[in-house]
Order: sequence, then C-alpha cells, then structure tokens
Amino acid sequence: MVFTTIVNCVRARGPDEFWRKRRIFKLAAHYIGRRRNCYTVAIKIVHRALVYATKGRQLRKQDITELRNARIIAGCEQHGLNFNDLREGLLRCNIMLNRKTLADLAAWEPYSFKALTDIAKQKTKEDGFGSVKDLQAPVGVITRGMSK
Amino acid sequence: MSVLKRVQQWATFARIWHVYDATWQNPFQSAELLKKYLMGIHKPIYHPMNDCGDHVIVINSLDIALPGNEWAKRVYFHHTGYPGGATWTLAWELHRKDPTMILKKAVYNSMDGNLQRRYTMERLHIFPDGNVPPELMGNVSNQIRQIRPMPKRLDHYTKEEVEKFPKIIDYPKDYILR
Repeated sequence: MVFTTIVNCVRARGPDEFWRKRRIFKLAAHYIGRRRNCYTVAIKIVHRALVYATKGRQLRKQDITELRNARIIAGCEQHGLNFNDLREGLLRCNIMLNRKTLADLAAWEPYSFKALTDIAKQKTKEDGFGSVKDLQAPVGVITRGMSK
Repeated sequence: MSVLKRVQQWATFARIWHVYDATWQNPFQSAELLKKYLMGIHKPIYHPMNDCGDHVIVINSLDIALPGNEWAKRVYFHHTGYPGGATWTLAWELHRKDPTMILKKAVYNSMDGNLQRRYTMERLHIFPDGNVPPELMGNVSNQIRQIRPMPKRLDHYTKEEVEKFPKIIDYPKDYILR
C-alpha cells in the first residue's frame, strides 16, 4: 500500500484502543491524580474542559467588550459626555473609530481622547441632538460643518 | 523611568478620597453611584484585576430618604445559624439600631459577590452625621454630586424672603386657617 500523504501514516486515526485513549490522555496531561492516569475519570474531565473552552471563546469576547465599554464610558464621563453622544458625534464627523481604539485612547492617551470628546461635543452642539445642548461648547474646535 | 513618568504613574494609581452627603438621598440609587467610585469604574484605566478603587466618605447617613413606604415594608433578614435563629428587621428598626447599616448593605448588595467585595467595602467610610475624624477628612479632595437636589425647607428661609415671595391672594380677614 502506498501512502500519498504523511497524515495517513499517523496511527491515531484507527480504531485501536490504545491510540484512541492516548488522544484523551494527551489532553489530560496537565491534570493531577487519577484524572490524568485513569481513562474513565480523564474522559469526563476532558469533555467538561472542552465544553468550557467552547463557551469560553464567546465569554472572552463578551468580557472584552464589557471592559472596553466601561473604559470608554469612564473616559466620557470625565468630560461630561455620555457614550451615545460620543458615538453619534464621532459618526457624524466621519471619525470611524471602533471600541477597541476608543478604549485604548481613553486609557493610554487621555489628551487625544479629550480631543475626540471635544469634537463630539461641538458636533452635538451644532446638530442639537443628545443631552449636550446646555453644555458649554469647547473652544477652538472646528468641525467640517463649520467650514462649509 | 524618568522622574516625570514616575510621578505620572504615581498620580495615576493614587487613591483619591471622595466625600458624599447622603442627606435626603435614596440609598439604593446612591449605592449604584458610590459603587463606581469604590471599584474604580469611573477611571479609564479600570480593569477587574486592577486595584484602582477610591475611598468614599459618606456623611449624614442618618438623614437618608427611602422611597415610598419602604421604611415600613423593607425587611432585613438575618440568621444566627442556630435553629430558630432567623430574625426579620424592618428598615426603620434597623435604622434606629445603626444609622449606617442600610446604606452599607445597599452598597454591599449592589456589587457582585466575589473575593474583592470585602476589600472594596473597607474603602467605604460611613458616618451618621457630619462628625468625621479630621485625619480622614484631611485626605478628601473631591465631592461627589448628590443624585437629587436638596430643596430648601420653608423654615430655613428668612422671614423677609417669605414675606417678599409673591402671593396669589390674601386670605379674607374672617377666614379661619386650620
């Protein structure tokens, strides 16, 4: 018999009991006690771990989004703006920054973030949306709507 | 690390002390506000594993205002662990026993139950009146704005201001005020 690819050489593909169990044991290698040595115990723990890993992929994304939102909201509130007004204001100025960038700027570049909130505030004043109407407009910010 | 960066780092992670006047404030809405300062959610550097929470001093917790008939209807449950050890205390009874407890429990319950919660609560200092030890008050550098504006009571206005206030009618001489 001629093997055309190297993958077919791997013995774990077959129904051999040793190699089938070995696949599970390799995943259980870092556990302690019987959960790494006994197959019947290991298979349960490995199955559970794989379920956690599957759920964790989604949860991780949710956690990151939550953290970024918290940081952006904290940054906005320091300058008396709420999150929706910031997003709407930046969108109308055609500044397409995503949450990741905004959160990074809020945490690491507070002055750049302040400039962004100023732009959003100015736009909010101009277009008269959101809750910023009665706030004082920032000085020295020129948006595209003003230059026309 | 340069001197400037070192100072910047130090200033960023320094704990700030806030003061909050609880007079006529809803403790459950206040708890949501104070939670943010205690956990550090109000800072853009917030991270669940970043210990960046601030201290909050709450004064006048004796004068909190519960909504509706919550003084009579809200019940605090406690169990000693022994059979028959359950007690149910009404909010007004608890407030009479310890005027800081309702606010403390409100803040405690507003946070998620994790290992950090007890340590976060250590940063909350509640006082039933305005008598705060000067060594604590000396740290304060910020005041948290009250959720609800404090209306001025009629007996706090001077007599001239009351008399100068525009009236719709004068009562007739023979009108009996009850």
